[in-house]
Amino acid sequence: MTINNQPTTNGKYALELQDVNCYYGKFRAVKDVSLKIERQKITAFIGPSGCGKSTMLRALNRMNDLIPGAYVEGQVLYHGRNLYDPGVDPVEVRRRIGMVFQKPNPFPKSIYDNVAWGARINGFKGSMDDLVEQSLRQAALWDEVKDKLQQSGLSLSGGQQQRLCIARAIAVKPDIILMDEPCSALDPIATLKIEDLMRELVQNYTIIIVTHNMQQAARASDYTAYYLMDRIDRAGALVEYGPTQEIFTNPKNKQTEDYITGRFG
Amino acid sequence: MRVDTTQSQTGSYPEGEALDRFVSWRNNTSSFWQLMFLVATIVGIIALMALLYNIINSAFGLVAVQNQVDPNALVLAAEEKNMLSAPNLVTSEDDNELVRGIEGKPYAIGFFGYAYYQKHQDKLKILTVEGVEPTTENAESAKYPLARPLFIYSAEGILQKKPQVAAFINYYLTTVNQKIVDVGYFPASEETLDKARATWLKVNKLAADATLPTVEPAKIKGDILVAGSSTVFPLTERLAKDFQTEGFGGKVNLESIGTTAGFRRFCIEGKTDVVDASRAIQSAERTACRAKKLEPVEFRIGTDAIAVVVSKENKFLTNVTLDQLQKIFTTAQKWSDVDPTWPAEPIQRFTPGADSGTLDFFGENVFHTTLADLPNDQLIEILQTATDGKGKQIISKGKLRQLENEQLFYEDKFLALDPQRHTAECASDKPPARCTLPPRSQEEVYALVVELIVKPEVKGSWSLGDTLFNRSAIELEALQKYPDADLEFRSWLRQDFITKPQSSTPELAGVRNAILGSLWLIGITISVAFPIGVGAAIYLEEYANAIANPFLRRVNILIQTNINNLAGVPSIIYGMLGLAIFVRVLEPLTSGALLGVAADPTTANGRTILSAGLTMALLILPVLIINAQEAVRAVPLSLRQAGMALGATKWQTIWSHVLPNAIPGILTGTILAISRAIGETAPLVVVGAATFITFDPTGPFSKFTALPIQIYQWTARPQPEFRNIAAAASLVLLVLLLTLNATAILLRNRFSRRLS
Repeated sequence: MTINNQPTTNGKYALELQDVNCYYGKFRAVKDVSLKIERQKITAFIGPSGCGKSTMLRALNRMNDLIPGAYVEGQVLYHGRNLYDPGVDPVEVRRRIGMVFQKPNPFPKSIYDNVAWGARINGFKGSMDDLVEQSLRQAALWDEVKDKLQQSGLSLSGGQQQRLCIARAIAVKPDIILMDEPCSALDPIATLKIEDLMRELVQNYTIIIVTHNMQQAARASDYTAYYLMDRIDRAGALVEYGPTQEIFTNPKNKQTEDYITGRFG
Repeated sequence: MRVDTTQSQTGSYPEGEALDRFVSWRNNTSSFWQLMFLVATIVGIIALMALLYNIINSAFGLVAVQNQVDPNALVLAAEEKNMLSAPNLVTSEDDNELVRGIEGKPYAIGFFGYAYYQKHQDKLKILTVEGVEPTTENAESAKYPLARPLFIYSAEGILQKKPQVAAFINYYLTTVNQKIVDVGYFPASEETLDKARATWLKVNKLAADATLPTVEPAKIKGDILVAGSSTVFPLTERLAKDFQTEGFGGKVNLESIGTTAGFRRFCIEGKTDVVDASRAIQSAERTACRAKKLEPVEFRIGTDAIAVVVSKENKFLTNVTLDQLQKIFTTAQKWSDVDPTWPAEPIQRFTPGADSGTLDFFGENVFHTTLADLPNDQLIEILQTATDGKGKQIISKGKLRQLENEQLFYEDKFLALDPQRHTAECASDKPPARCTLPPRSQEEVYALVVELIVKPEVKGSWSLGDTLFNRSAIELEALQKYPDADLEFRSWLRQDFITKPQSSTPELAGVRNAILGSLWLIGITISVAFPIGVGAAIYLEEYANAIANPFLRRVNILIQTNINNLAGVPSIIYGMLGLAIFVRVLEPLTSGALLGVAADPTTANGRTILSAGLTMALLILPVLIINAQEAVRAVPLSLRQAGMALGATKWQTIWSHVLPNAIPGILTGTILAISRAIGETAPLVVVGAATFITFDPTGPFSKFTALPIQIYQWTARPQPEFRNIAAAASLVLLVLLLTLNATAILLRNRFSRRLS
């Protein structure tokens, strides 16, 4: 059974999480998270190390399935369908919900093939050249690489590589892009470029970003979710979720305030 | 976190002198281990070097080859025959007749001993040869190509102990110049003779500038033994006769046995007083003489030179080259055949007769063809007519018929076969192979001549080390032990060795069957083991690890452990396995019977390349799997995640990203596996590789041998030459291995380059 791309009754939200628990074998890494992620907005997951925000992110496109023993309880609704229903093909989920990783990881292939590969394996029909150009333009990389499309993707700088990864992700026309600390390996200028790019992309895509960088969350995101590890069972839990403006100026939770003011973490 | 500063009070670090001691101890330990690693590397390199040296030492070196028939003599006989069958030829032992023949004829040419020319200078024109004029000086210094020195040799001890020998040589040196021209040779210059006389004086302990004492033959007693060159023989004979005429009462025992035989008799057997020689003594002969306490003494007594003459009327010739001479006296009909600028007139030839030494000497110097260069006709004729030392024909009519039965010599001629029978047999239902085969080529006939007539036999062989550093001792040993053999440098690893099939004669044996066998074997092994190995590795790494079911996980661990252990199982056990399964149980398949391939009765029992290849595939499978697993594991997880995150299936990710990135590592493992398989012997022995096989493998169902088997078989043979070819075969194996590995490395580099 496939997931189609049509907006459902509740068109405002891209994803709805209901009591989501993530497990690695017997260990519960994330507990009881429920939140709704708004369409065409940037949602930031913040929190100290080990709070489960990356696990949470990976649960959203079933990347955790790749880890033996990992499983998820609860519901992640996408267009009204639970991504963890037995009939849902995780490969299909990942096509709709793309991902950009912490470290830039272009394929050891040409820049062109990096972008085209995803389209090819997903049965894309049409002008591949146009698709590659369009994706690279959207990723604000076209002008820098248009003359060297056949060069290896690894020959680019770190920031360019990360933008190539973004271009690669949007080439398969996903709905949602998950970004797992996409700027942590980049210098400030490259970081700013990625942030600008995110602001551009969010006009067409829903973006969920995990970040350690508080300023980045404040600058770039529309909504912020703050996670914290429970001291007793060491499981990550959602502490506060709301518009970024509110979280950063007027946090309701004491722990959130401690964290964003730098008193903790 | 709070740092407990009081903790540091519980221990202390060395300071001051203790610190110095500690640091130097630590640095020493470090240096010691560095040194150890260096030593280990050096020991390894030395061991490798020693191994290589050992192989190369045996694969190259001097050999003493004894031919049943001298190939040069065969060529000479063939060329002389050509010469004597040329048109317009007059032969005569009488030089006057030759001179009369040439005189006045502008298109005549001839040759004879130089001395005769001197007698007829006014009637004839002498030619320079290769631009060298036959003057006394040029002849004596051997600049003139048609000249050779004449010597007599004796020894210091003999001259001192046997006065009759000293007196005879004295007589020789005093009177030779008056007589040598009569015999037909070129007299030595006065300086040369003076030198010889000085030697005589020195040996007899007289002042070097004194004149030779006068000889009174009548007063001298005792016998004189002379042996050696047939060229010097008539001269010595003449002098001996004169010596006796002048009153010498003893006997002069004169034998014409050839220079080399003369030296042998003199130096090794010690049975002659004087050697007649038409070449200088060789260093090995000198060494052999000294070993017998004989210091050889040399007397140059003249030169044998040939004059090439034309008539005074000849206007176009002043110089000839040796090449031209060969043509002029053999195949050319007209002068213009030799050189287009010369007149198109028939050549009139005048030569000494077949019995004369001059003709042989001319042939030896002018005919530089080797046996391999002779045309087919002449080689076939040699095959038919060559005789051994006792004058007996080497190849009987029956043997000739047998050879011709296998393959014809001529398209339209028969040597021994009945033509009617041949036609009848070819028309029959089952025509013999000779009906379709082309006649034997020149190379094939040459090979037959070498194999059946020349029959080179390696009497002794020496290692490369001895050859380089101990040559004189080898020469002496060869002269003493194998007097009729020629010493030559032999590279056992030569083109023939690689292209020829196996043979029971080491000189004729080659490794072609074995190389082809090994290549077939490796081909089958790799094409079976590679896909299975890579497939298993991918399953174990990519799929088995993702299984959550604890029971299946345990099964996977069991499989993995088994593979690791199998990599260490001795190869002979794989051989037993191969014998039991592929040779015995799967015989219908491995012998090809099941696939409808007509089984050769000799291979029908399943001992085929296929069986061996499958056994080898089993043998290398664990190594291949383990290495491929390593390679697959080394592909970064981030690549897999990147692929999966784009909505790729597992297989798409593996095919596009994991495999291409793992290929270099997989190929490295394959190199190791090939190296192991190509050198493996034990399982092949068990699976039944043939140790002696003289034909090429024809396919996977054929009987076969492989290089290591061949080497193993040769090292076990008693004849020492087999060890030489075993060493050469080892080199071939090494080169084959390096070639295969280099191919894999090139492939790997290409993949790596593509990725980065």
